[in-house]
Amino acid sequence: MHPLVRWFHQLGSPPYFDRFAARWAPVSYVLAVLVMAYGLWAALFQVPADYQQGDSFRILYIHVPSAWMSLFVFGLMAFYAAIALVWRIKLCEILAMACAAPGAAFTLITLATGSIWGKPMWGTWWDWDPRLTTELILLFLYLGVIGLYNAIEDRRAAARAAGLLAIVGVALLPVIRYSVVWWNSLHQGQTISLFGQSHMDASMLPPLFAMIVATKLWFVGSLLTRARADNLRREAGKDWVLRQAQGTLTQVKEAAR
Amino acid sequence: MSYQNYVVAAYAVFAVVLLWDFVAPRVEIRRQLRAAKLRATRAAARAVPDELSRQAVE
Repeated sequence: MHPLVRWFHQLGSPPYFDRFAARWAPVSYVLAVLVMAYGLWAALFQVPADYQQGDSFRILYIHVPSAWMSLFVFGLMAFYAAIALVWRIKLCEILAMACAAPGAAFTLITLATGSIWGKPMWGTWWDWDPRLTTELILLFLYLGVIGLYNAIEDRRAAARAAGLLAIVGVALLPVIRYSVVWWNSLHQGQTISLFGQSHMDASMLPPLFAMIVATKLWFVGSLLTRARADNLRREAGKDWVLRQAQGTLTQVKEAAR
Repeated sequence: MSYQNYVVAAYAVFAVVLLWDFVAPRVEIRRQLRAAKLRATRAAARAVPDELSRQAVE
């Protein structure tokens, strides 16, 4: 068997995944913090103020990456949920459900920072604009997935029900993406393109790309940590969890000496 | 810096939400491992026969 295929099969084993997540989540967080430190520094102190919006445009450096993450994470959650529903892979159920909380967090950041930016620029905290409204519905969908998963006692049945909601909710993603094109929207149209021509000055782009990478790395760390927590919860009572608990406690005691 | 209060508020929201996202799963992992340890301690205590059960056997 090819080593990569063998590794993929091994990853489905709960103890193996626990070790994998415990090892790689901190690495991902450290990389995220390093890239984010550069991105935030450049966004706040290096990039010149916008000629129209002044310094309020600096909010864009957290708003836009979070908005992209809110859509990306929902799509990934639905992808894992579809695999879990078709092939009944337990790890995919865990990963799908672990996507929900960080996805909701990024959606909340998007809405809150957009609202804070909107007050001085639009003169209002909120408007029932298509982009804002559909993003709010996305937050409710994330909360629905989290609520449904925690409302059913049987973990596997809960993951299937919540996963189905995630798959149905994917229909909202293109509506959010193209809401500024399909309707007359107060929200501005697309100004930044990863592969095409951006309508932003080139000097303003590097911190944005850094923040896009940093939020992705942060999400990987969060996903692995949350999946590890859910894995431990599902496997409660198994010998490997006890060994893990005793090992962790021994490490804590040794560190305290 | 113009609009300083708005910029600070937005970055504070970003920091607080990410901090919650960092802390919450760690607390859950610690809770699960502690629960596993407690379950093992209770199981070990049940496995050792106490004075009353020894008398009943005799």
